Order: sequence, then C-alpha cells, then structure tokens
Amino acid sequence: MEETDKEMVQRRRRLRRLVAVPIAIALVVAIGLYWTITSYLLKDAEDKLKTLVLTQRAFHQYIQQVMHPTFYRALAHGEVKADFYRPEILSSSFIVRNIHELYNSERKASGLEEIYYKLASINPRNPVNRADPFEANLIRRFNEDHNLKEYSTVITMNGRRYLYFAKPFLMNNEACMKCHGRRQDAPPGLQKLYPGEGGFNEKLGQIRAIESYRLPLGGEFTVAVIVTASLSVGLLVLMLLLLFNVRLRDLVRLQTRDLADEIEERKAKEAELERKNAELERFAYTVSHDLKSPLITIRGFSGALLKDVEKGRYDRLGKDLHRVMDAADKMSALLNDLLELSRIGRIVNPAMTVGMQELVAEAVDGLAGGLEEAGIEVVVQPDLPQVFVDRNRVVEVLQNLIENAVKYRGDQPAPRIEIGQRPDGVFFVRDNGIGIEACYLETIFGLFNKLDAKSEGTGIGLALVRRIVEFHGGMVWAESAGSGQGTTICFTLPATQVADGSDMEIAQRSVR
Amino acid sequence: MMSGEPLNILLVEDNLDHAELAMRNLDDALIANRIVHVEDGEQALDYLYNRGRYTDSKLCPKPHLMLLDLRLPKVDGLEVLEKVKADPELRSIPVVILTTSSAERDLAMAYEHHANSYVTKPVDFESFTRMLRDLGFYWLAWNKRPW
Repeated sequence: MEETDKEMVQRRRRLRRLVAVPIAIALVVAIGLYWTITSYLLKDAEDKLKTLVLTQRAFHQYIQQVMHPTFYRALAHGEVKADFYRPEILSSSFIVRNIHELYNSERKASGLEEIYYKLASINPRNPVNRADPFEANLIRRFNEDHNLKEYSTVITMNGRRYLYFAKPFLMNNEACMKCHGRRQDAPPGLQKLYPGEGGFNEKLGQIRAIESYRLPLGGEFTVAVIVTASLSVGLLVLMLLLLFNVRLRDLVRLQTRDLADEIEERKAKEAELERKNAELERFAYTVSHDLKSPLITIRGFSGALLKDVEKGRYDRLGKDLHRVMDAADKMSALLNDLLELSRIGRIVNPAMTVGMQELVAEAVDGLAGGLEEAGIEVVVQPDLPQVFVDRNRVVEVLQNLIENAVKYRGDQPAPRIEIGQRPDGVFFVRDNGIGIEACYLETIFGLFNKLDAKSEGTGIGLALVRRIVEFHGGMVWAESAGSGQGTTICFTLPATQVADGSDMEIAQRSVR
Repeated sequence: MMSGEPLNILLVEDNLDHAELAMRNLDDALIANRIVHVEDGEQALDYLYNRGRYTDSKLCPKPHLMLLDLRLPKVDGLEVLEKVKADPELRSIPVVILTTSSAERDLAMAYEHHANSYVTKPVDFESFTRMLRDLGFYWLAWNKRPW
C-alpha cells in the first residue's frame, strides 16, 4: 500500500520522539556514572595525599614533642650553648620542607610527578613559606570557622587539573609561643637568625599556617570519561536496538498485512480473470456451435433437395427450401445479435439523468405494432423516478424484456404486461405468460440458452439485458411462481450521478 | 432385422431441422422400425423412465440405440447421459453422442460419462447421410446386445 507523505512525516516524528527517550536515559546514566566514578577516583587520590599529609604531620610532632624537649633539657643543663639555634635541627617547618624536597626528588627519580607542598603562612619567618592569595584566604577561613578541619577541591592551573588539599597546621599553644610569641621571649639563637618580625607576634589559639598540597591529577578524568562513555554508549546502543527491534517487528507485521491484502486483491482479480476467461471460452464455444448449426441445416437440406429433384420427388421441396431460408435468416440474426452484444462495454454513450417514464414510453412505442397485433395490454406505473444511465441501452433492455413477454405469453387469453418500480426501488417487467420453473430462473440469462427449442429468437436477448444492466452496476434476475404463473424480470439501475465505482455501489444499495 | 424384433431409436435433438435430416436418412436406410424424436433432456428422461407423456411402456419401449445431442434446453445432454449410465436398468443402452460440437472438452466429458461413441454432425450432406447409415448399421445390425 502506498504511504502518503503526511503519514511518512508523522512516522518520522514518532520515531524521533521514540529515539529521544533512550538518548535521555543514556544521558542521565552517563552523568550519574561520571559523577560516581570521578568522586571515587578523587576520594582515592585524596586518600593517597592524606598519607603524605599525615606522615609529614608526624615529622612535625616528632620534632616538637621529642626533639624540642631534648634540646631544651640540654640547654637547661648547659650541654649546648645558650645562644645555639639551627633551623636544620630545630625548625620543624624547615626540616619538613627539606624532607619534602628530598621526597619530590625521590618521586621524580621513580618517574612520578612532584607534589606541591607549602606550610603556607600569612606571617612566615621564612619568605618561602609566604601564602599566596588563595592560601591566605583559606587561612582566614580556617581561623573564622574552627569546625572546618580540612579543605579539598579540584583546581585548574595552566590547563592542568590538580587535587588541592589543605589542613590547618597546629593551633598555637604555650609551647609554640616560645618561638612564635614576642621576639624578645624567643631563644636568642632564633632572634639572631631571623632579624625581622616574620614568625613572631602570633596569638595563642590562632591557626598560624596551613599545610597546602597540590597533587597533579593524571588519567583520573580520562578514565572516568572512557568508562562513562563506553558504558553509556553501550547502553544507548542496546536500548536503540531493542527499540528498533520493536519498530521493525511492527513494520514487518504491517507489511505482512499489506502483502496479505495485496495477495487477496490479486487472488480476487485472478478469479475475476478466470471467470472472464471461462466466459469467453463458453462464448466462443456457443458461437461456433450455434453458427455451425444453421450451416448443417442449410447444407443438409440443400443435399436432400438435390436428391429429391434428381428422383423427381417434388412434394416436400417448398418446405425444405423454407428450412434452408429460415436457417440462413437465423444465422443472420445471430450475427447481428452477437455484434450487438460485443458492442456493450466497447461503444459507450455517456450516461445522463433521464426519466424512467420517458424510457419506458419509448420502448413501448417502438414495439406498439407487435403489442397491438398480439392483443397485449401494457400497464405502466406513473411517476417512475429519474435514473442516471446510457439511455439507448436501457431502452434496449426494456424492449428485450417486453419482446420476451410477448414471445412467451403462451395461450393466455388476456395477456398483460406491467412495468413499474417496487417500493424497494427495484424496477420490474411483469407478464402473465407461461412462467418459468424455479430451476431455470438463472439459466435463461446464459448466452444461447433457450428453454424451448422451437421458440423464435437467438437466445441472446437476456444475456444482452444482463450485460447492459451489469455494465451500469446493477443487477438483474427473474422471479416466477412456476410454469403458467407468469414471469417478472427485476433489475436495478443507478439513481443519480456518482463520482466513482465505490459511490456507484452505495447508490446501488440505496436503490435496491 | 436378424431377429425380427422391432428396433427402436431414441433421437434427442433440439434442432428440428437436424432431427428431420437425421430421421430422413435413417428411414431411407431402412435400419430401424421406429424412431422416437424428443426435443430436450427432460423429455428424453421422461421417455426413458416412462413419465409424463410417455407413461405407456408398450408404446415407449427401451430404445436399442440413443442418439443424443449435447446442448439441449432444460436438462443438458451430459446430464441425461450421466443419469442413463448411472441407472443399472438403462446403462446397457448404447448412447451415441451426435452433436455439432467438436470441442475437446465435450468429447472428454462425454467419454468420462461413459458415452459409447461420439460423432460430430458433418456439414457435408453426403457425409451426413453415410455417417447415419453406417452408425445405424453398426449399432443395430452388427453390434450384439445383451438383451
């Protein structure tokens, strides 16, 4: 079946809508997956970094809790000079910074990327520890909110992503204030070493510095993207496959149905063709048979005549000659009727709206002589409706039916023909003649079929009637209560102009 | 002829001219004692079963030969043939199909329904005459009947 443009557009739109659903699902799944994977990978990176952070914190603790008391005891016992101070031994920030540098070079030697580390302070003793604006800001935040224990985020620097992690360094306690309180309270060695105010004048309970780290992120995001993309695309493909499978099945079902319809249609056409072929074969057969028949008569009686003449027998000459002439006439009539029959469907006069009354009158007038001679009363119902037909053909139909009624009036003393329309719209030509037995009601419409061999006529008349009526999309049939009960030929004709075949059928039904 | 028993032919033919021709030729050949002519299949069956106009079985005895046309009004020739050959009482009657048609289908159908012979009416008069005479001689004189 042909698909209209509109249907195709609608189908495409529907398909687009259907495809949008799996895409949306895949998108949501992708976002969820990406988020889960990256948070897992970042957590993992953070844990790695924390190991370093805690290790370094342990260094600070060791220096402050083990080394510093040892030093101060030695100082108190005079084991070291009173003004001895070396950051390499005493400054935990110095020591850890240097340990970290060594750690980074070890990393480098092992093919690992360096990790940025700074014990960042707003007021550093050593300028290398000075916080950058970002770090300074963080220190202020930690001091404002003591519940904030650590801070981590992903930052981008020079097109590279890093996991940034910060933890506030130890809060200033009494011990810290020894070196970070007022300058004059600090060990003399320390005062000598750091002439400026940097690292002094800190306040108790304040966070002096933060441990600031930057771990370069490598393949984490790439891995997340690859895993997310492959899983989502896989899912999308799977869903689309399922969707198309369903669509495909629908399509196959639809097309199978269409094909089945087409096969039905073709079968019907084939049957119609076969029927027509059989009809044609029957036609050719009957034509050859019925044309040959008078030939046999003509040739046969010519021979008989010749023989009789030779024998000098003249008593049946006239009768036999009549047989020859009648056979020749019959052949001529046959040929005329056949020609007429073949014209239907080939020579078509345009259909027009015309009063049935007028057509009936014309048919009756044309046969007035014969009707009068046979003493037949013709009754035509008044107010017959309009019909949309080839007028000449319908007159021919009526004439044939009237002629048949005349021909088969039998020995009816008061022959009568009624022409009219029944309440159900069916037209009829009814006579009170010899009638037809029920089993022959259909036979009479066959070509050359005559119930009475002796009756005049060629046996084409009713075949002609049927062809004309069917050509108009109507139906014709015979009704009779039986032998001697008269015959009614019924037929239908289109009432109004119709646009095409299907409307013709509807009009037909309404007429019936 | 040989037995002195009167021989009957049933001629089933709707064309009156053809029937007249056939009867003249059969008469001229002096083959049968009696030729009964019926015009359609219904009458043929009525005759064979002694119905309707043919109730008197003395006047309408079983024919010794049936000449049957195929295209007949009312009951078709093939139908008559089928009925005759299906009836144990009638099936021994030799049925010769005598028709205008030389269509293969008719020929095949006739033999399928156990026709004893199938001949087409020759257009030529001499042939027509000779064929009917030969036909009559063969079936009524040479051919042996079981009854």
